[in-house]
Amino acid sequence: MTLTERLGLRLEPRAEAKTLDRVLALASALLAALILCGLLFTAVGVNPLSALGALLQGAFGTWRAATETLVKATPLIFTGLATAVAFRARLWNIGAEGQVFAGAMFAYWCQSALAGTSPFLQLPVVMGGALVGGGLYAGLAAILKTRFRVDEVISTVMLNYIIVYALSLLLLKGPWSEAGGFFEQTAKVDPASQLPILFDKTRLHLGFLVALVAAALVWLLVRRTPMGFEIRAAGSNLRALEVQGTNKARVILMVMLISGALAGLAGMSEVYGVHYRVKAGALATYGYTGIIVAILGQLNPWGVVIAAILFGALVNGATFMQIKTGVPSALIYAIEAIILLFYLAGWAASSFRLRRIRA
Amino acid sequence: MTTVPRLAVRHLTKRFGALAANDDISLTVEAGELHCLLGENGAGKSTFSACLYGLLQPDHGEIEIDGRKVELTSPAKAIACGIGMVHQHFVLVPSFTVLENIVVGTGSGLALDMGTARRKILDLSRGFGLELTPDRLVSDLSVGEKQWVEIVKALYLGARLLILDEPTAVLTPLESERLFAVISELKAAGIAVILISHKMNEVMRSDRVSVLRKGKLIGTVRTKDVTRDDLTMMMVGRPIAQVHARAKTSHGKAALQVVGLRLKRGADISLGIAAGEILGLAGVAGNDQDELLETIAGLARPERGRILLDGEDLTSLSVQDIARRGVGYVPSDRFRDGLVSDFTIAENLILGQHWDEHWRSGPFLDDAATAKNAEAAISSYSIMASGPEMLCGRLSGGNAQKVILAREFAKARHLLLCNQPTRGVDIGVIEFVHREILRKREEGCAILLVSEELEDIFALSDRIAVMFRGEIMGIFPREVADIAVIGPLMAGHRPEAAA
Repeated sequence: MTLTERLGLRLEPRAEAKTLDRVLALASALLAALILCGLLFTAVGVNPLSALGALLQGAFGTWRAATETLVKATPLIFTGLATAVAFRARLWNIGAEGQVFAGAMFAYWCQSALAGTSPFLQLPVVMGGALVGGGLYAGLAAILKTRFRVDEVISTVMLNYIIVYALSLLLLKGPWSEAGGFFEQTAKVDPASQLPILFDKTRLHLGFLVALVAAALVWLLVRRTPMGFEIRAAGSNLRALEVQGTNKARVILMVMLISGALAGLAGMSEVYGVHYRVKAGALATYGYTGIIVAILGQLNPWGVVIAAILFGALVNGATFMQIKTGVPSALIYAIEAIILLFYLAGWAASSFRLRRIRA
Repeated sequence: MTTVPRLAVRHLTKRFGALAANDDISLTVEAGELHCLLGENGAGKSTFSACLYGLLQPDHGEIEIDGRKVELTSPAKAIACGIGMVHQHFVLVPSFTVLENIVVGTGSGLALDMGTARRKILDLSRGFGLELTPDRLVSDLSVGEKQWVEIVKALYLGARLLILDEPTAVLTPLESERLFAVISELKAAGIAVILISHKMNEVMRSDRVSVLRKGKLIGTVRTKDVTRDDLTMMMVGRPIAQVHARAKTSHGKAALQVVGLRLKRGADISLGIAAGEILGLAGVAGNDQDELLETIAGLARPERGRILLDGEDLTSLSVQDIARRGVGYVPSDRFRDGLVSDFTIAENLILGQHWDEHWRSGPFLDDAATAKNAEAAISSYSIMASGPEMLCGRLSGGNAQKVILAREFAKARHLLLCNQPTRGVDIGVIEFVHREILRKREEGCAILLVSEELEDIFALSDRIAVMFRGEIMGIFPREVADIAVIGPLMAGHRPEAAA
């Protein structure tokens, strides 16, 4: 006898969850997550309400704070979209992390050859380079999968390690290390190649607009085009598509190229929009966080944008919260994880219902 | 009857939202009785048996076993009450032995008394005429033997009421016979058996039949008091017209020619089908019928040989190119190979043609055109659906099959490859499928029909071929082919050339 049965209740799967049930389940999950976070704040000796207040103030309190939230959200939109496209097709691309690096590195490699030329030449090259770099790196995993049946989870994770150390190699004593520099980073890139700032006295750059355009394009691609038809079909039953004459290997390659290209843009936007240098610190963790963002966003492009802004707000507000209340900003990663776990639990719970069983 | 029935169900009702899957069902099953539960797909047979096995809880109603009221809140409770169930899809661990599969989950405490278990299993299987070797791996067993393991497992757990869910769906005719022999042993031992089936010849071997239709019990009758037609009438609610093709004698020129085709195993296959002719391919499942059809459709490459359609060699063409030449292919496993469950009817109808100009406006899919196409298919194939936007995963088996037929029949201008078109669908749908296939023949399409249901083959074919282990054992005109000719060939026995 299970615990629920002892209580005279029984968990049953629902035939179909209604939207209202889902919203209720998710809202209560979010509430539970907030309460747990509050306990966490209390445990480090801070009033949860004032911590939350500081978090919100830091994230949206001023115009500058709000734009900064969007700056933080930008790479997450790209990696979230990258993950969403792959996951929609049931391709478990865990390699957005590495594809971010690959996109940034290939963009840098192309652009550095053109340093000193017009921004109208350099900016397209930077973006194109990021698309190609990220796409090809993900394509490698696709070929490993279709040719040699290597599971994409394994290959993409391994490729993440390779590219991080490859960058380290290039920066440490390699051709990319800054002349006379002490840190593991390149020299500053040509100002003509940097993404324009959208508003004065903010750091919000063109990359954010590109991210919104990318979200719109992904939405159109998936919903409306024959290619998106294949992505969605692959997510449900690739075999049926194959029986109807679609080349499975082509679909896998295509999905990974698109996914990798989107992740590559995240690397480009961080390097040319925020840091103006290639360095590991500018690129790390966006790929992995993108997976969480994609899942929170229900693999829907607009959901991804919202989830990315939420995470951007958390990261951005955390710094202010630390200054104001002394809560370590590292706590924010615990909060991110708590939100994801409760969200997933809430989603799963909404597929069930509790029924009273007769005593 | 004066004795207490083994099972008594009173006013059982189970609702899913607005749908009453079981509506006020009352019936009894006696010890030693073979009681058949008959009904079309969606009539509520599965819901009823799930309630009996504790997988679902009824909203109202009572269940009594041997006169004692029981609350079946879980399968464990049902087993404890002496109810056993053999599912249509077996739930065995392939890498375990027969013995391990039977005792798994039965021990109390940490130790399993394998010695006693083995003796008990041997006693049970000998007693009921089942030949089981406890130490063989389940993965090495035939389908029929796996079913025996399931039955012995239920008996081992003390079943006095055994529910068999479509048990012969996966069996050869011979294996089905043996199953019925086992069932009579079970009856003799006083075990009540509930048989869920829609095959009339099996239903007629039961003691009593309960007919379900749309969740309601239409009636329980003694089998010897009724005819097949009576039961069909009860099940469907209207008389069914049997479609029978009259074999054609004259045909046009050969549309499909298969010359010296070699699959992974077996001998070279050569056959021809004329335009407007149906060639029925009889054979037990798993004798490479799927492989033959997939090879013709371009999904697999032959070891050697050629496939010609109207004289053109298809052998090296892609699936898409073959389809463009007017070939339709209805796969046997419709939810695995035929449909994308998460797609709408409209989307599934253009599966594989989604790049065609026809379904596009500019770079985008033309939703209006695909919806119109779907509406036309829904009405001409009478698909029971809320509209073009209904997800195919929510369709019943018969309606899902109709979606595939609509797509493939539209593609099949010259050749139609039809694999198990009536598997698991209702009598009404079978009738419909037969009529559509014959209509396709009238249009001058060459048709290769594979079916495990010999009734399909005999009803529709102009000529009948028998396939065994990747080899064509013989091709006969419909008039001379009967079960006496075909049966032995299906089992791989060639007749002696000369007496």
